[in-house]
Amino acid sequence: MAAAGGGGSGAAAGRAYSFKVVLLGEGCVGKTSLVLRYCENKFNDKHITTLQASFLTKKLNIGGKRVNLAIWDTAGQERFHALGPIYYRDSNGAILVYDITDEDSFQKVKNWVKELRKMLGNEICLCIVGNKIDLEKERHVSIQEAESYAESVGAKHYHTSAKQNKGIEELFLDLCKRMIETAQVDERAKGNGSSPPGAARRGVQIIDDEPQVQSGGGGCCSSG
Amino acid sequence: MSLKSERRGIHVDQSELLCKKGCGYYGNPAWQGFCSKCWREEYHKARQKQIQEDWELAERLQREEEEAFASSQSSQGAQSLTFSKFEEKKTNEKTRKVTTVKRFFSASSRVGSKKAEIQEAKAPSPSINRQTSIETDRVSKEFIEFLKTFHKTGQEVYKQTKLFLEAMHYKRDLSIEEQSECTQDFYQNVAERMQTRGKVPPEKVEKIMDHIEKYIMTRLYKHVFCPETTDDEKKDLTIQKRIRALHWVTPQMLCVPVNEEIPEVSDMVVKAITDIIEMDSKRVPRDKLACVTRCSKHVFSAIKVTKNEPASADDFLPTLIYIVLKGNPPRLQSNIQYVTRFCNPSRLMTGEDGYYFTNLCCAVAFIEKLDAQSLNLSQEDFDRYMSGQTSPRKQESENWSPDACLGVRQMYKNLDLLSQLNERQERIMSEAKKLEKDLIDWTDGIAKEVQDIVEKCPLEIKPPNQSLAAIDSENVENDKLPPPLQPQVYAG
Repeated sequence: MAAAGGGGSGAAAGRAYSFKVVLLGEGCVGKTSLVLRYCENKFNDKHITTLQASFLTKKLNIGGKRVNLAIWDTAGQERFHALGPIYYRDSNGAILVYDITDEDSFQKVKNWVKELRKMLGNEICLCIVGNKIDLEKERHVSIQEAESYAESVGAKHYHTSAKQNKGIEELFLDLCKRMIETAQVDERAKGNGSSPPGAARRGVQIIDDEPQVQSGGGGCCSSG
Repeated sequence: MSLKSERRGIHVDQSELLCKKGCGYYGNPAWQGFCSKCWREEYHKARQKQIQEDWELAERLQREEEEAFASSQSSQGAQSLTFSKFEEKKTNEKTRKVTTVKRFFSASSRVGSKKAEIQEAKAPSPSINRQTSIETDRVSKEFIEFLKTFHKTGQEVYKQTKLFLEAMHYKRDLSIEEQSECTQDFYQNVAERMQTRGKVPPEKVEKIMDHIEKYIMTRLYKHVFCPETTDDEKKDLTIQKRIRALHWVTPQMLCVPVNEEIPEVSDMVVKAITDIIEMDSKRVPRDKLACVTRCSKHVFSAIKVTKNEPASADDFLPTLIYIVLKGNPPRLQSNIQYVTRFCNPSRLMTGEDGYYFTNLCCAVAFIEKLDAQSLNLSQEDFDRYMSGQTSPRKQESENWSPDACLGVRQMYKNLDLLSQLNERQERIMSEAKKLEKDLIDWTDGIAKEVQDIVEKCPLEIKPPNQSLAAIDSENVENDKLPPPLQPQVYAG
């Protein structure tokens, strides 16, 4: 995407943000396809190179700020629901995926939102994602309902199709921008000395870095 | 000798027999001419001096060693080292009272003023150096070799690490959480210092941090792994028992997407189990993490071979749970706690290793809380399996899980054969009984038939023939026979 290239190689102030993003969603909503599409730009492909799609990383350059994204997939089966807190501890962002043809999966998202807000407060950036918009005809979750719900809980709503590669770049890019903002607010707060120095330790790791040599333009997300 | 000769002489001065100290008592050559009291005083003084000298020697040797290390790195090392030595004394004094390591790094202007205390605090440092085993020696050497490549930064890092280890020596009595906190602070401070002051690029910082972790944790391991002050050991035993009680859980119940009938897959499963068990044998948290990662990679391969697509977390977690259940790794909780407390946090929180480790934590949490519902079983079935009354494998012996090892498989096969044999034997027995009955029936039938025939044609027994009957009465001509001989008696 164009925006990802942004400030590009010119920005020498070498800072790399490391973000942890958890991926939550019921079994068959297409979480895996979503990340595979994003990181490998492949869908149901025999040539997928990764051995697994449960932990994926991606390097981004957003407006000259470098971001290392670690995407943590979580087991979506109901029986593992109680393990959620172990997964999303210390995460900067959460992507909550539901299937637009499956009302139940949207209900599940609501549960997770409640839980996340309770456990992590407002520090975490939430994205609610309606996947499989290629199956618009079979839609069971209304757009208005989903969007107004997302707004009411301070989350952003996105529509994606892993199959047709729609909306995925925007989703991750937007999320990264929001996480950078949150991190910057945090930093400023820390600069004022309002938060104890120990608190930052397990949160965002800001690492000084040598300026990365980037071929201008597309950055890492040169999908198309 | 001289004393003796003098005694033999004619004139012996009185003063020569007296204590050399001149206290008025007589001295004794065995006490080098002192009286007993003065000798004792003198002797103690000498011994004290000897001890002092030994200390100084040890100190000097250590300094030399450090100087050698420093000079091999940079020319201005000596100067900073003397200061470091001084700072070390100062901090030693401080850390005895203060529970945080952060003070190490604050450039305090207050310089150690109480010399006596410094002297005292200095004493235990050689004892720390002494208790190194072969392994820690090897790790230390590697660490120093490694740091040499970083010149000034390396020297700095070495200094800080040494200070930290000494500080930790005094903190052994603190709770494990406090010790963990100190270690974490240390990691963070060292990393920050390298970045801000040393201007070390992040990749190198990461590498150095790995080495620091290896160095300090090899030394601390003995004291901070499964410490007595915690209930880690109890938890280990609880989870171990729990896993044993769950021996009957099948891959089907957990919906594990792995088909162990494929030899390649079962091979991967075995490797994964070996890796997770191996975790306990490592000392350094990072090495333990590496075992978890290797195990996870094997799990992924197994899933990939079975399903022919990259594994998602939905596949991975159940399989990992299954591996943990099958492997029952030793001291699982202790290992998890140890890694959580003492691993470099940047690795644990965001990296790939961290992800797998989190999954392992999830697997353990799941096993602890596992109930009938989480295995899609009815409560009665679950209770029966847990109490060991029945095993799901016995019920469905045809499709028993392929996870059973060769011996168990053979056993089930043999049991199966035995039951078949039993059945056949019973059949033979019943047939034999039938045969016996048939035989009896047959003989009875024959007997009856014979009876009938006998009844139909009864055997007539004719009266005896008259002529034959008169065989005795034929002796009519007995009188014609000569009379029987009579015994005759002869006289004489």
